[in-house]
Amino acid sequence: MGMQGDFFQLLKEQGYQFGNPVAAAAGMDVPNATTILALKYRDGVLVAGDRRATAGNMVMYDRTDKVLEIDRHSVMAIAGVPATAYEMVRVLEHSFKYYRRTQLQELSFEGKLRAVSKLLKENVPAALAGTGAVVPVFAGYDHGQETAKIYFYDILGAEFEAVEYAVSGSGSPTIRGILHYVNTWGPQPLASLPEEQATIQALRLLTSAAEFDSATGGVNRELNLYPVVKLITSAGVQTIADADLKRLYEREVVRGRE
Amino acid sequence: MYEEPYRWIEAVGNRRQYLDEQFSKGSPVVALAYADGILLLTVSRGTPKLYEVYDRIALGGMGHPADLEKLRFSLLEMAHVEGFNRSPSDVTGARLMKYGLAPTIKQAFEEIYKAPFIAKILLAELGVKPERDLFLTINYDGNFEESRGWASIGATSAVQIRMRRYFESHSALAQTSLAQAIDTALCAWAVGSLAQAASEASAGEPSAEQGSEPRTEGDASGMPDKAALLAHVRQTVAEKPVECVLLERRGPGSAKYRALRSDELGALLPPAVSAPPTS
Repeated sequence: MGMQGDFFQLLKEQGYQFGNPVAAAAGMDVPNATTILALKYRDGVLVAGDRRATAGNMVMYDRTDKVLEIDRHSVMAIAGVPATAYEMVRVLEHSFKYYRRTQLQELSFEGKLRAVSKLLKENVPAALAGTGAVVPVFAGYDHGQETAKIYFYDILGAEFEAVEYAVSGSGSPTIRGILHYVNTWGPQPLASLPEEQATIQALRLLTSAAEFDSATGGVNRELNLYPVVKLITSAGVQTIADADLKRLYEREVVRGRE
Repeated sequence: MYEEPYRWIEAVGNRRQYLDEQFSKGSPVVALAYADGILLLTVSRGTPKLYEVYDRIALGGMGHPADLEKLRFSLLEMAHVEGFNRSPSDVTGARLMKYGLAPTIKQAFEEIYKAPFIAKILLAELGVKPERDLFLTINYDGNFEESRGWASIGATSAVQIRMRRYFESHSALAQTSLAQAIDTALCAWAVGSLAQAASEASAGEPSAEQGSEPRTEGDASGMPDKAALLAHVRQTVAEKPVECVLLERRGPGSAKYRALRSDELGALLPPAVSAPPTS
């Protein structure tokens, strides 16, 4: 009902159906591989993702944006089937706005988390059928607790809060180990890194993932292609410009520098 | 008894009279374009009168809070379903007005066995370019108008004409800063508010002609001077807060609506209004 400010319910009343369970045809490759990561740094949360979309061993696209702003204070990084993931983001974006505009207050952070897992639950039949699995990482600023938080999900919609970092996608096993190592025995824990250091770590991690996972796109300097890196602080979501990523990459990531 | 046409016309006439009375104590709403977007303003106590409808559309209303809520919800529903199913750029003020609000309000007004909506609504739409900023206003009978640059709603058409005249005499609005725009908006609001008060005071007199120009001290055209307008604002602001929202062209993200916080607004109000009155 409209009076409750529930946009998803409103869509359903209008005959909208989310997550149709369609079985994948034999031999059909659904695009689904990637690497996304979120980590807590000194001022909030950093979320980053590579830009490659693949289907089987085909590279479909090298300019995908998998780190999507849902509103001024939350971001969803998506791994899995892009068609479903983008639709989820669209539903969430409209749901949060609709709630704010009807109820005249921002949806609580818990409410936003619930909305994400609700969509994932609706999507279970499609996920199990093989054509709609999405494994997102959701990060946002919780104004109630005055801190930025990271949550990750399984394909069935279970929600887990990440204390320090979260990863998802086909390249994630590679960097999960690195994150653990760096965070535990590195010069300083991730949570104390300033913005620039956190960005450098993210670039190095995604470059490592691309090294071992063919479905993760690395940096392509010829085409001026860099990962998407966004920062979430109390001030909102901020995207790091390509020029800054290029500068950091050339100074801190490229091997063989003087 | 309403089957006969003249009875029906009479019933509609009664209805107009009844509705006009309902708005006489309401607060006018003004909207105008300024250098960086659009501003909507009113002075009112109680429920808010200015709202966000969609990414680039804001609403200002007069009338019964429950009726405004009902219409606001129908607009929100329409805008969001359309924005989701098609795209946010397909949600336009003109479509919301023509296909959403106007038919609903007109039907309720003419169904004389049912209660009409006690509501007048102003929609402001921030265009991609300043030339495409658009304002739409709708009366309780479903009549709507489009305008550019500015718009206002007030208790009667006479009140609205006076506010329009004030805006017309203050041209080149589009280039003004936010503080200047707030100054102009407050004065236009005061023109409307004073006109409403004057016509209400004269309504009791038997000689008062319907729709006649209310008289107030001021220049030859009957327009109160600026000091009188600001004095009226200062008087009203003492008991009712100024409500002001913006559609900011360069605001972050896709949603351009932002309500001014009271401290921001305090800093932007003209000194004659924010400073304590000198005795």
